[in-house]
Amino acid sequence: MARNKTFNRRNILIIIAVILVAALGLSVRLGYLMIAKSAEYAERAEELHERERAIKAERGTIYDKNGIAIATNKPVSTISVIHSQITDPEKVIDVLSEKLNLREEDVRKRVEKVSSIERIKSNVDKDIADAIREYDLNGVMVDEDYKRYYPYENLASKVIGFTGSDNQGIVGLEVAYEEYLKGIDGTILTLTTAYGVEIENAAEDRIEPQAGNDLYISLDVNIQKYAQQAALKVLEAKNANNVKLIVMSPQNGEIYAMVNAPEFDLNDPFTLTDNMLINIDPGTLTAEKENELLNNMWRNACISDTYEPGSAFKIVTAAAALEEKVVELDDTFFCPGYKIVEDRRIRCHKAGGHGSQTFVEGIMNSCNPVFMEIGARVGVTNMYKYFSRLGLFHKTGIDLPGEAKSIMHKPENIGAVELATISFGQSFQITPLQLLVAASAVVNGGNIVTPHFGVQVKNPQGNVVKTFQYEGATEVITKETSETMKMLLEAVVSDGTGKRAYLPGFQIGGKTATSEKLPRSSNRYISSFIGFAPADNPQVIAIVLIDEPTGIYYGGTIAAPVVAEVFDNILPYLGIEARYTETEKEEFEIGSFQMPDFLGLSLEDAKKLVKKYEFGEPYYLGEGEKVVEQFPLPGETINRNSDLILYLE
Amino acid sequence: MTRTEREQGKKKKFHSYYDYSLLFLTLFLVCFGLVMIFSTSSYNASRNFSNPYYYLEKQAIFAVMGTILMIIVSKIDYHFYIKPLPILHMKPVTLLYILCMLLQTYVLFFGKEINGAKRWINLGSLGGFQPSELSKIAVILFTAYIVNLAPRRLDKFKGFLRVVAFMAPLILLVLIPNFSTALVMGCIMIAIAFVASRKKLYFIVSGIFAAGIGTLFVFGVSYRSTRIDVWRNVETHPKGYQILQGLYAIASGGLFGRGLGESMQKLGFIPESHNDMIFAVVCEELGLFGAVSLIMLFVLLVWRLFVIAINSPDLYGGLIAAGVLTHIAVQVLLNIAVVTNTIPSTGIPLPFISYGGSSLTVLLIEMGIALSVSNQIKYER
Repeated sequence: MARNKTFNRRNILIIIAVILVAALGLSVRLGYLMIAKSAEYAERAEELHERERAIKAERGTIYDKNGIAIATNKPVSTISVIHSQITDPEKVIDVLSEKLNLREEDVRKRVEKVSSIERIKSNVDKDIADAIREYDLNGVMVDEDYKRYYPYENLASKVIGFTGSDNQGIVGLEVAYEEYLKGIDGTILTLTTAYGVEIENAAEDRIEPQAGNDLYISLDVNIQKYAQQAALKVLEAKNANNVKLIVMSPQNGEIYAMVNAPEFDLNDPFTLTDNMLINIDPGTLTAEKENELLNNMWRNACISDTYEPGSAFKIVTAAAALEEKVVELDDTFFCPGYKIVEDRRIRCHKAGGHGSQTFVEGIMNSCNPVFMEIGARVGVTNMYKYFSRLGLFHKTGIDLPGEAKSIMHKPENIGAVELATISFGQSFQITPLQLLVAASAVVNGGNIVTPHFGVQVKNPQGNVVKTFQYEGATEVITKETSETMKMLLEAVVSDGTGKRAYLPGFQIGGKTATSEKLPRSSNRYISSFIGFAPADNPQVIAIVLIDEPTGIYYGGTIAAPVVAEVFDNILPYLGIEARYTETEKEEFEIGSFQMPDFLGLSLEDAKKLVKKYEFGEPYYLGEGEKVVEQFPLPGETINRNSDLILYLE
Repeated sequence: MTRTEREQGKKKKFHSYYDYSLLFLTLFLVCFGLVMIFSTSSYNASRNFSNPYYYLEKQAIFAVMGTILMIIVSKIDYHFYIKPLPILHMKPVTLLYILCMLLQTYVLFFGKEINGAKRWINLGSLGGFQPSELSKIAVILFTAYIVNLAPRRLDKFKGFLRVVAFMAPLILLVLIPNFSTALVMGCIMIAIAFVASRKKLYFIVSGIFAAGIGTLFVFGVSYRSTRIDVWRNVETHPKGYQILQGLYAIASGGLFGRGLGESMQKLGFIPESHNDMIFAVVCEELGLFGAVSLIMLFVLLVWRLFVIAINSPDLYGGLIAAGVLTHIAVQVLLNIAVVTNTIPSTGIPLPFISYGGSSLTVLLIEMGIALSVSNQIKYER
């Protein structure tokens, strides 16, 4: 603008100045955004770009008393497809539908769906997943994962429980100890575009998962197996609805076994067992009904169902009476077969009556009039005092979900008739476990135990994270009463209604019961037996309930042998040695001797020698005159009354 | 030595100037623009057209075409525009003005609608053409022409109103579909008038007045006041998505950026990141240093235009250069201001960098005109 006026130049300069100021201002603004705001916005942008993929934490293992894994994990895989990376969709569809045993159209739908990632199937067995990985198909992802696995399948199914698709506990111990078992899921953070496509070669942020802690429980697989076997046997033999069986330590409340026969397969918990489908046509099953049946199948009846305990409850009544000193062991009673209470005539189970008997005999005979009498002597207030002390008004506090509460009369509603029925275990309901806890307190010297499974939690490195402490009331009854009760209950088994639970060498105490289910006229019964051993220092206590047995339903006849069978197996296993009394040795020919040498003897000499020893049955095999082989071998220590086999030539 | 000889000798001493700095600055910006367009568009291009070079190829064609046109135009003496054409008896600048009026009217009724605004004339395989781009040149040349006819009149407000009266029809036609371009045009017009004026008071007064009117207008029209809402609450307003994504991009650049091609936000988070929001990606990839460097390049460009303006042989050339200067500066500043959410969002591309064929071609022609002004500068060796 050489020929232009100076004001023109000045004006342009003003414009330039304005522009420069604006440019500077914007640069400052940029600096503010890119330095001061950088961290904040960049983080938010990052959140937008990152996609979290969870890495499932390995769930803790549940170990039994012996350290045997009863709930563990099995590696499985999740197969997914990434639409944008698939190069050969037809092959992918072919391979996946064939290997995963899925319908082709289902696979096709997912493969052809435009999405960032589509899950085809989870919980795929490792070998199938490996086979799919072998194909090395583009766009097919095989993610390692864990699936809960129960090596003992249906063992203690309703106790252990199982997990759902996200590895979360659904029932049983799996729920109760969820917080210890579940661990902390990890994450893989990958960068994706706005359309969710992962960016290859982008650095992955990975937060490692933390495996869950291991749970050690008091349940003993072997005892559970014996118990479950015995329960199933009687369930079938008596064609019963179900059989419940709990084996516990009366000293500390550790539960060794809890059976709810029939059990279900923990590895397949969503399939109804046959017994659930009786009288139901699976074809007409609605989802709602199926759900209800499944919930029933998973239900732990030992703690969730209440029943009228019947005569077994006489343990509590007797203990209360002894505590209150309203009865002496040699007090005599007379049973005419009934007792008139107010205007009601309440029958004894023995139609003709037991006649004259002492208190001890009353217990051994499980005589109702005797207990109605002593119940009346104790009175409602004191009776309820002992109910309360023995934990019958509250839950036992077992570490399992779904425990039921007892159903009791209000004290003000109890008249003489109610008191009389309560005294022999009718007109109220408790859970089998509550009765077991009350009976434990009666025989262990008066301490309430908290029944439990959980013992310890260890982290995956094997260090103890937590040892569970269980507290309970002490001295709810005196030691003397406890001693007396043990003696009385041992008498029930050795000479009374519970004699079918008798095991030579093991001092077993117990009480039978036959509860009539409501309504009374339906003739449906629960036969039960509660037993403990050794009677003088109880190490194990068990209760069995047979629900609606067919045929003979007396607890003493059908329930007591179940406990005897279990005890016969587990007492030696628990290290409780048989101590035979002299009469027992006599009666059951207990003892042992060294096996003599029969080899080379003639048949005649052999027969003479056999007579000198206390063999059971001698068997002579073969036609010859000379012993060439023998079983047991010479010199072995064998029990009296053992059989003998001799081979002749 | 005779007078004639002296004259001749004197004449021989003067040479035509040509601002190569401006030329190379322009070419550099165009090339940088192509790099950034490839960087920002390749992801979307391969997604939508299975060809990562889709946008780059189109833009490159326009860049080459525009560069050729620029060089041709730069060799045309800018006085040609205000000399009557032999047959038509009209000046090219008037012709251009009338053409632009017609095109703007045409586009108003028959224009192709893109993103809810009728601004494009469909040119088939060549894509769309925005007549408003051409109108910017018309505004520069025609305003300079009007002002140059009687520069003294600008000393009075009436004289300025006369200029406005001449330019208003075209600017209003643009304003209807395209507020931001009209705003740029207004700025150019005012800047040219301002340069020619001896008095400034009425500019200040009318500037304040215009600002008042503008505010009323902005708050009055519903969709524009939505923009105000978005501007104020960019982090929460649902329509603030694009701007917010731009801010994320800018902020995640930090001092030195993620590196060329490493932007995350261009991967679909910023819609059409190769368009008006390209500066955000420049910030993300090249950081504060890269962004400020780019601003410095534009400042340098403006500086060259300023040098041409003050050295131009006559007022007309100076006014043209001032107009071009204003055009570039206003567009750069508005674009960056929008991207950084300093002002409410309005669609203004970043000159030379943003994707857009007609915009780039017209800009290059404009630079050609500025170069032609520089070419008329005579200097003594």
